[in-house]
Amino acid sequence: MLSPMSNATHSICVEGLTKRYGEVTAVEDLSLTVRPGAVTGFLGPNGAGKTTALAAIVGLIRPSAGRVTIDGVSVGSAPPGARKLGVHIESSGAHPGRSARDHLRSLAALAGLPRRRVDEVLAIVGLEHAAGRRVGKYSTGMRQRLGLAAALLGDPEILVLDEPLNGLDPQGIRWLRTFLRERAAAGGTVLLSSHVLAEAAQTVDDVVVIHQGRLVRQGAIGELEQLGAGGVFVSSPTRERLAMAVQRAGGIVEFEGRDGLVVHGMNAGDVGELAHGERVLLRQLTPRGGSLEEVFFSLTEKEAA
Amino acid sequence: MTAVLRGELIKTVSTRTVLCYAAGAVAFALVNLLVSVLASDLASLDDKRAAIAGFPILLMLLGIVGAAGEYRHRTAAPAALAAGRDRGQVLAGRAAAYALTGAAVATLALAVTFAIGIPLLGEEPGPALDGGDLVLIGAGSVLAAAISAIMGVAVGALARNQVAAVIGTLLLLFVAMPLLQLVSQTLFDLSPFVSATAVAGDTAAETLSWGGALLVLLAWTLPVTAVAIITERRRDVG
Repeated sequence: MLSPMSNATHSICVEGLTKRYGEVTAVEDLSLTVRPGAVTGFLGPNGAGKTTALAAIVGLIRPSAGRVTIDGVSVGSAPPGARKLGVHIESSGAHPGRSARDHLRSLAALAGLPRRRVDEVLAIVGLEHAAGRRVGKYSTGMRQRLGLAAALLGDPEILVLDEPLNGLDPQGIRWLRTFLRERAAAGGTVLLSSHVLAEAAQTVDDVVVIHQGRLVRQGAIGELEQLGAGGVFVSSPTRERLAMAVQRAGGIVEFEGRDGLVVHGMNAGDVGELAHGERVLLRQLTPRGGSLEEVFFSLTEKEAA
Repeated sequence: MTAVLRGELIKTVSTRTVLCYAAGAVAFALVNLLVSVLASDLASLDDKRAAIAGFPILLMLLGIVGAAGEYRHRTAAPAALAAGRDRGQVLAGRAAAYALTGAAVATLALAVTFAIGIPLLGEEPGPALDGGDLVLIGAGSVLAAAISAIMGVAVGALARNQVAAVIGTLLLLFVAMPLLQLVSQTLFDLSPFVSATAVAGDTAAETLSWGGALLVLLAWTLPVTAVAIITERRRDVG
């Protein structure tokens, strides 16, 4: 298990990352940071450039422009190694004719790790009973677990996982969520991409949203949810007075029904305080929507428009 | 670098591919021996050498299939990530692992061929192979297999497409080479295929000595491998 770490700056820093394939730009001027002690979700619709960006971050592809540093060290053609960085990008990345144990043995040898780590990670991901079976006979979920086992071989400080929830059954998803939360709690850095937004919302602390290769938003998941596409619904007999106060405070208002008001750009607590200060009677104060999924669609649709 | 070699060796020997090639190498060697002995009298030393020489081209194909398979099965990326080294170094380790595997397969095939072939050749007319001949054929076959496997890894890494690399090599071997021989025996002898078989003890190369053949084979293998390593360093691993 990852040993607790000091507050050292184990983090990923991406500056102006661009990757072009001929005339196609897969990732454009992407800048983001990933902090230690947190799980960061890397979200975006299919084709947004998530996998390309992750591959560039870990050093598997050469950026057309920009710079990536891991733990302050620039990532060139040599990745940082299994003890520093654990990566799961392909589902397993193992030869179908090779057993899971041999696959992990080869990676452990390449990394200069002791052979006992193979059995340890097989036990962590729950594959010890199938370790001698050829990977070609594995289910999608088992391949995901094998890929995760490979990422964990060096007990790395930093994990980069591309769609790790794909193919996992509900128990597997729950196990992975708990596992990643524990690693973050121990001071590890976790960056994971996912399109299963509801699951990601339960796992991550921070969110990076990209669309068409460009950064759309980065922040804590709470901040992102507060952006709430639905805003805050307020019911008041003196809604006009409240509306003026909200606008003065920088919020946006939208009248709804006979005495309703929808406030955008402020959270429910701020609206309540404002109403109290203005001595406005409130009959209802309800945050509307605001799930990660709604915010995600709102952000990416806005970007696409 | 030892760690990379160990890891790549485990990969090389942990699929059935290497067993298939070992069985193929033994079968080819035996068929060649038996056909040579049964089809005609092996009166000259060259005939006898050709009957028990190894098949390094098979090990070149093993290297091609193994190295290109890294991209087909997407195993190149996990290897590079685990090693934490420059991808060129990982490829160099892979080439060394295939060289050792190729040498082992060639040794196995030679052991079987010598065990059966030496008594059979003893009954053939003309001068007999002496100990020096057998040492040269044995060492040459193992050396040619190792170098050819390295060449195969380099070609496989450059092509990254198993099917294209294997078909391309077979077309060169069975279509281009016979045509080249019609044009010029010297150019034919200077090819990597013919020089490899000449190092293994075969007598297809008419204008090259054993040492000359080894130099030609190295003159092909070292630059191609260097280009593959430099290219690997620069190319993306998808």
